[in-house]
Amino acid sequence: MSAHAHPKAIGGKLLDPTMKILLGLFGIAAVVMVYRFFTGIGPVSNMTDGYAWGIWEPINVVVFTGIGAGAYSVGLLCYLLNKGKYHPYVRPAVLVGAIAYSLGGSSIVIALGRYWNAYWLPAVPIWNLNSVLLEVAVCVISYVLVLWVEVLPAVLDGAASSKSPGWSRFGAKWGQRLSKAMPFVIALAVVLPTMHQSSLGGLMLIATTKVDPLWHTWALPLLALISCLSMGYGTVVVLTNILGMTWKAKYDQALFADMSKVNGGLLFLFSAIRLGDIVVQGKLHYLGRLDHHLFFFVLEMALFLVPAFMFFSPKVQQNRGRLFAAALMAIAAGALWRVDAYLTCYNAGEGWEYFPSMGETIVTIGMAAIGIAVFIFVSRLFPVVVVDDAHRHSNVGADQVRSAASR
Amino acid sequence: MRISRRSLLKGAAAAGAAGAVTALAGKAEASEHESKHRPDAVGMLYDSTLCVGCRACVTKCKEANQLPVDQSAMQGTEKAVYDAPSDLNGQTKNIIKVFKDGERFAFMKQQCMHCVEPSCVSVCMMGALHKEGEGTRSFEGENKGTGIVVYDKYTCVGCRYCQIACSFNVPKFEWFDPLPRIVKCELCKHRADKNKTGPLAVANPACCEVCPREAVIYGKREELLAIAKKRIAADPKRYNAKVYGEKEGGGTQVLYLAPASVSFQELGLPELPEHSAASFSEHVSHTPYLHGVTPIALYATAAFLIHRNKKKEEEAEHHEEGK
Repeated sequence: MSAHAHPKAIGGKLLDPTMKILLGLFGIAAVVMVYRFFTGIGPVSNMTDGYAWGIWEPINVVVFTGIGAGAYSVGLLCYLLNKGKYHPYVRPAVLVGAIAYSLGGSSIVIALGRYWNAYWLPAVPIWNLNSVLLEVAVCVISYVLVLWVEVLPAVLDGAASSKSPGWSRFGAKWGQRLSKAMPFVIALAVVLPTMHQSSLGGLMLIATTKVDPLWHTWALPLLALISCLSMGYGTVVVLTNILGMTWKAKYDQALFADMSKVNGGLLFLFSAIRLGDIVVQGKLHYLGRLDHHLFFFVLEMALFLVPAFMFFSPKVQQNRGRLFAAALMAIAAGALWRVDAYLTCYNAGEGWEYFPSMGETIVTIGMAAIGIAVFIFVSRLFPVVVVDDAHRHSNVGADQVRSAASR
Repeated sequence: MRISRRSLLKGAAAAGAAGAVTALAGKAEASEHESKHRPDAVGMLYDSTLCVGCRACVTKCKEANQLPVDQSAMQGTEKAVYDAPSDLNGQTKNIIKVFKDGERFAFMKQQCMHCVEPSCVSVCMMGALHKEGEGTRSFEGENKGTGIVVYDKYTCVGCRYCQIACSFNVPKFEWFDPLPRIVKCELCKHRADKNKTGPLAVANPACCEVCPREAVIYGKREELLAIAKKRIAADPKRYNAKVYGEKEGGGTQVLYLAPASVSFQELGLPELPEHSAASFSEHVSHTPYLHGVTPIALYATAAFLIHRNKKKEEEAEHHEEGK
């Protein structure tokens, strides 16, 4: 167990100024969301029949879940490839994933016009299996459940080390039981994201005339899958850095240097498929257009290739700040590619224009804010984050649970 | 939609409903053959050279479908008293537009194209938009084989994927309604007369009934296609040589004739390949699933590896503690 440092509850004041600001932002967003249920989507958004998804789908769902894919990508390393040394980063990544996916899911409900009909969704016989969105919906809902089950060990762990003997027994007992079932839950956490992350790219396959030819390709699902892994690894590095600054979270430069090589490889792979496809499909001439398409394409390629090279450079691997910057760029690369394919380089046709409204923007910001708030809240109360100085950590009653709950 | 041995297990892995999905496999296959061959498909033929732009069809459509007036084309002017929609929208299922470029001009009628392989049907999560009688659940009183793309408000969740998917930008959404619907032409299926025979027993589009010049006519798609080709052959100088909708995007059940000097793109119809966007999207999405084998194999492999790794780790720990 020596390889596994122990996560611990951060503790501290729950309603600190940061929390108040975050909750305030969500409060404003909540007003907009409630208003939307009384008036329809039109009055709070700039969405039109041409740009029917606005920013809510591309950002709240597609980008948020890309960030949430840290749970998937670190899980792959840790459980499937048996790199136990990544264990300290699994819990925070899983918590971020659970939050990001839950927010993506609830954003959909806000955006759905006829949300009350969603109760049909479990009715398997009426599923249209050709619908990529159905796959995304069913798969994301299932994955949200799986993610929260994955968060449970932290909660049970917290219960087990609580002072109340009842809670302590409860936590220890169920922690062990859950531990037995965990491999089969984690296997789902491998399959489901593989499916829906590729589907999130596949959603745009049907829009043959609307998505710009530089973005529309048969490879959309594959590219989306690769980019979510890259965004996920990036998120873990960025998250650990931020947690390190605020809560002295354990940060292991050598480990992140290793992981960066994986991320660099993914970024190169993405770029190679993207560029290779453009060449093979004879789409090079679309690069001759001196407009926003070219601008975003070049910006994207830079965001993919610069961190790719950085990740392989020893100078970057040994420097915390540079590695942080590269990881940030990797997230931005995936996010920009997603937003471009869904929105900025999506052309509904002549006469359609779109720029997000105040209301839409506030909802997106509010959703992000409540996500951060929930993360802070859970980390303060339950052992999620692995903190650097181990001797301050109380081990009382945690021994048997550690093995049970570390999964 | 040829590739449809549909990755059925997509859902199964997610919901663990393997049994139900196997049952669906047969269903999906069956509907496949139906959709390939629809001799009774009905549609419309719009001849731009005959249309005089009187807009009687726009008015009649509103009346037949009980749609509210829309004055968006005259917004801001004092004359905003007429029903004057500027485009298809949540209150307008049919519209007449005009293309003008110097000497050349032509009228254009827009409504749902009732595609042979519709994108909206391909993407609709629970078959709210479906070919009449061919949805994923049985709809009472619907005919089979008409190919009319109809809307069921009870299974629509308002996700608007149909709007993203449609190359013709046809499905519209009621943006300012807290209980919105998707609005689009359903070929006036509700005006069908069961006592009549032939196409009129299936549907009766108000726009075709009211058109004083028979610029738009209703009938079986096959017959309309023959009429269109006959018109071109009889007067090749008058017509653009192509019948739009015969093959575009896998074919549409509403067909178009344009004047010789005007292209269909100028009329606002997109240039589309012969295969449908639906067949492309379904092919790419389904292929990696290998009929559902991939997710199951992936799950089994993952579960095995994770289980084994965990055991190894626990054994190693045991050793350590034993020392």
